[in-house]
Amino acid sequence: MYPNALILGPLFWIIMGVIYTVTVTGFYYWTKDKGIRLNWWKWLLSVLWFTGTNVVIAGAFTLFGENETRAGLYFIGLFGVLFLILGVGLWRILSPR
Amino acid sequence: MKIKGNGLNRRNFIKTAGITGGVLALAGSAGAGLASGKNKDSFTGWGRTAYGKDQFFNRKPFITDNPTYEKVGESRRITYIEDLFKRNGELSRLLFARGNEAPSWTFDDGAEKLPEPLRTYYLEHPESLGEFRKAIQKSQEQEENWQKYKNKYLLADAWSSAHASAIQGQGAFPPQPKGLPEESDFRGVKKEALKLKSPGHGSSLIKQITYSFGASLIGIARVKEDWVYQGYLRGVGKGEYEVPGHWKYAVVIAVPHEWDSMYANPTYGTSYDAYSKLRFIAGKLEVFLREIGYAARSHVPPTSYEIAMPPLAIDAGLGEQGRHGVLITPELGANTRLAAVTTNMPLEPDKPIDIGIREFCSKCKICAEECPSGAISFTDEPENVIRGYKRWNIDADKCFTIWNSVATSHARGCRVCLAVCPYSRKNNWIHNIVREVDPRDPTGVFSSAMLAMQKKFFNYPGGQAYLPPPDGENSTYGEAPSWLMTEEWFNY
Ligand code: SF4
Ligand code: SF4
Repeated sequence: MYPNALILGPLFWIIMGVIYTVTVTGFYYWTKDKGIRLNWWKWLLSVLWFTGTNVVIAGAFTLFGENETRAGLYFIGLFGVLFLILGVGLWRILSPR
Repeated sequence: MKIKGNGLNRRNFIKTAGITGGVLALAGSAGAGLASGKNKDSFTGWGRTAYGKDQFFNRKPFITDNPTYEKVGESRRITYIEDLFKRNGELSRLLFARGNEAPSWTFDDGAEKLPEPLRTYYLEHPESLGEFRKAIQKSQEQEENWQKYKNKYLLADAWSSAHASAIQGQGAFPPQPKGLPEESDFRGVKKEALKLKSPGHGSSLIKQITYSFGASLIGIARVKEDWVYQGYLRGVGKGEYEVPGHWKYAVVIAVPHEWDSMYANPTYGTSYDAYSKLRFIAGKLEVFLREIGYAARSHVPPTSYEIAMPPLAIDAGLGEQGRHGVLITPELGANTRLAAVTTNMPLEPDKPIDIGIREFCSKCKICAEECPSGAISFTDEPENVIRGYKRWNIDADKCFTIWNSVATSHARGCRVCLAVCPYSRKNNWIHNIVREVDPRDPTGVFSSAMLAMQKKFFNYPGGQAYLPPPDGENSTYGEAPSWLMTEEWFNY
């Protein structure tokens, strides 16, 4: 499969790298236009939240891939909701008052 | 700057690309996760991880001078009659005489009329005799039931038979020892052994060679008298034997069952995939050692052992014994099958490890809950002292009855306890996080959280469900792989 394949694997991760860069750049301009001032810890929290959300999605789909559908659903149910709540909290911290 | 022809300026473009990128990144994570879960390289021992890469767990931080078995009294060697297969074999020879001869013993004769050492054993363990009688009855039912199930489990049974074929009968490899160990283990040994640079060189060389033969895990232990069977020696027969002086070290080898079939126990898995691998690895190592000038004897499954494997493997630093009696290793969990080669080659032994399995087992008990026979203890702490060592006891007789009850063509095992054990996990990132964090958490909070998730997230049908109807519903712990499901390939 592609992330592990000999040729498509490295290509996949290069493209993922580009996508992450574009995402972070887009986020930067988006916050500027919204008048959100990001200091270092707000950046850190935002990056951590996005990384965590990616890990939750990857975790659930790893379990799906292993044929552990029930475990994957519970995993995304628990941690997905948790990250959704954290996302709302983060948004309240970031949004200008 | 405006991009010509539309109203999108560069800033908006980057922002839109950013949002799209965020969604794509999440989709990419999903794809990578799915691929990681499906990836056959995560099937430790069956993927692209040969040459020692299966033994990926760093044991160094967990080395201990105190092996995790607990000696509490005077210890003694295990007598061969305490081994289920040996005593059942002897009893079967009496019960099922060859040709037209009448049986020399029947259950109605009672334990009193049995020859020694069976008589003493069964007088002391009458429940064990009753359980064997039940197993025989169940095996007749199993044979009749097989007519109903033979098509459903055709591929699984054929797959098992194919693996078993290489290790059965006269031509089985490695050949059984003949004569005293002092002759048989030295047969074919090259006289002029070169001088080994050091025992450390010996261990390193033997490990690399054994990995090249296909071993997933290897550890080296000094042979401890307590682990050596008493009363029977292959190649010689019954009698009292000292541990041969040239059984100085044991190279302990572990391989896993194919993972997906193992999860689909008891009906789709087999013991013979791992057994045949082990026999070929150990048998080849035996030949290799003799070729370079050292005595060697392989101890291989299903029953060709002179040494009890789990404690030997603990000494060799491979893992710890679980509640279900099976060795649990960090890489393979309970999906660990063992063989060993004893030798007089100077080797540097490995040290035991302690990754907290006993503590985890005290709170887990999943195997006990899922065992169809009730053979596994539920007590929080081990309460039995067996030959001087405190551990959880397994009722092997009850376990054997279940081998004769599940919907297979004959008694070829159950292995549900291997499948359901939370340690039996593949080599992918999500399970590796747990593997690495759990033994480093001194508080036990992480393992309790993992256990809670394990019990909630994963589907455990419960012990009875693994039995055929009317007692159960032929459940398996995991779904069978499509390549073992007859209905995927044949109309029937
Ligand atoms: S093999 Fe089956 S019956 Fe035997 S102890 Fe394990 S789960 Fe129980
Ligand atoms: S299933 Fe649980 S209790 Fe049983 S051996 Fe595995 S970890 Fe221990």
